[in-house]
Amino acid sequence: MDFRWDVVWNALPQMVEGAQLTAWITLLGIGGGMIIGTLCGLVLAARVPVLSWIVFVYVSVIRGTPIVVQAMFIYFALPLATDIVLSGFVAASLCLAMNAGAYITEIVRGAVQSIDPGLHDAGLALGLSYPQLMMTIVGPLAFRRTIPPLGNQFIISLKDSALFLVIGVAELAQKGEQLTSQTGRALEIWTAVAVFYLLMTFTLAMIMRLIERRLTIL
Amino acid sequence: MSLIHCARLSKHFGETPVLHDIDLTVEAGEVVVIVGPSGSGKSTLLRCLNVLEPLTSGTLEVDGKRLGERGASKRAIRRETGMVFQQFNLFPHMTARENIMLAPRKVRGLSRQQAHKLADELLARVGLSERADHLPSELSGGQQQRVAIARALAVNPKVMLFDEPTSALDPELRGEVLEVMKRLAADGMTMLIVTHEMRFAGEVASRLIFMDHGRIVHDGNPRDLLDHPPSERFADFLGHVRV
Repeated sequence: MDFRWDVVWNALPQMVEGAQLTAWITLLGIGGGMIIGTLCGLVLAARVPVLSWIVFVYVSVIRGTPIVVQAMFIYFALPLATDIVLSGFVAASLCLAMNAGAYITEIVRGAVQSIDPGLHDAGLALGLSYPQLMMTIVGPLAFRRTIPPLGNQFIISLKDSALFLVIGVAELAQKGEQLTSQTGRALEIWTAVAVFYLLMTFTLAMIMRLIERRLTIL
Repeated sequence: MSLIHCARLSKHFGETPVLHDIDLTVEAGEVVVIVGPSGSGKSTLLRCLNVLEPLTSGTLEVDGKRLGERGASKRAIRRETGMVFQQFNLFPHMTARENIMLAPRKVRGLSRQQAHKLADELLARVGLSERADHLPSELSGGQQQRVAIARALAVNPKVMLFDEPTSALDPELRGEVLEVMKRLAADGMTMLIVTHEMRFAGEVASRLIFMDHGRIVHDGNPRDLLDHPPSERFADFLGHVRV
């Protein structure tokens, strides 16, 4: 079978469109996930009563179910149970944020708890309040330690966004499927789709590498 | 009025008792060295005195502030006590100067310039002016501990607590830290020091306390206690640490 470059060339505009949507969903997903994960991670690390328990349930539910099921639930089941009807794009972004949030919760908790208790003691002995201790010592040190696992999580989230083809969101993978049935050229289309994903994950990895290099991990 | 006064202070970790009914009064200007076998509760006693460990029972008064009463929060008591740790515990993401500047700014409300000036004065005092812009990882253990002493002094405490300040150091680095502590004592700082440096105790301490099994066994003049150990247990302990 020969590789037809013209198929790739003609599909390019649509793929760029799909890639843009993938990028947006990923950006919203990891942005929302960072907010959820940071708050929940701090709740777990500080062992806040009641709230910790709620966070524990949230993390367990998300980690214990496949993301495809979560997407199906938000898009198809939620409107039946409540009056909430979400567009595919909103459902996808929300689903990714909830999913990434659970994993980032664990990343943040782990990083905060890995900080030497001796530094807590030193800060408290100087008379710092707990919020001051968090802002000036534990926070900045823990933040550095989250960078490598966060990079990992961001890449996983980007690739997971391909699953949203099941709820008909026209992101990159869904475009790939459309284009394959239009052209009948699976080899060219899926090769190109793979290259697109690779470029995006590579860019993400490079950004994280840059941040990591600027902040010495202590 | 005494600087530190605790009465019937007890501390349990879960079911395990660590300190039993400690009564201790320290006057301003005293240099108290606390010795004892490991597990005797000496470090825990220091940590109780600035409330890093909550007391199980008993009362604690520092500089006239009685823990739990109005205006005597844990933080209020910690502001009056500086602490130096065995493992230095410098903040690794801050330079020597920044380590010292943090508490004066956050706790005493000094401006950036004031804190900067204070930090440079304290660094000069511990002989590390030229290391101000170095991170802890770029300093030797002895230098790190000297920065830690300067950091504790920066909140202008009434009493300094030293928890085995030289135990984590190589022998050749201990001298520089002990030297700084000697000068502090000579300047009239009130100090409580947990250490195994018996020679230092003999030279600098105005008072020696021997602890065993969570109790104060002996409390008196260092020369007398060291030259004429009043109990078999203390003589035994001295035999071990003096080797």
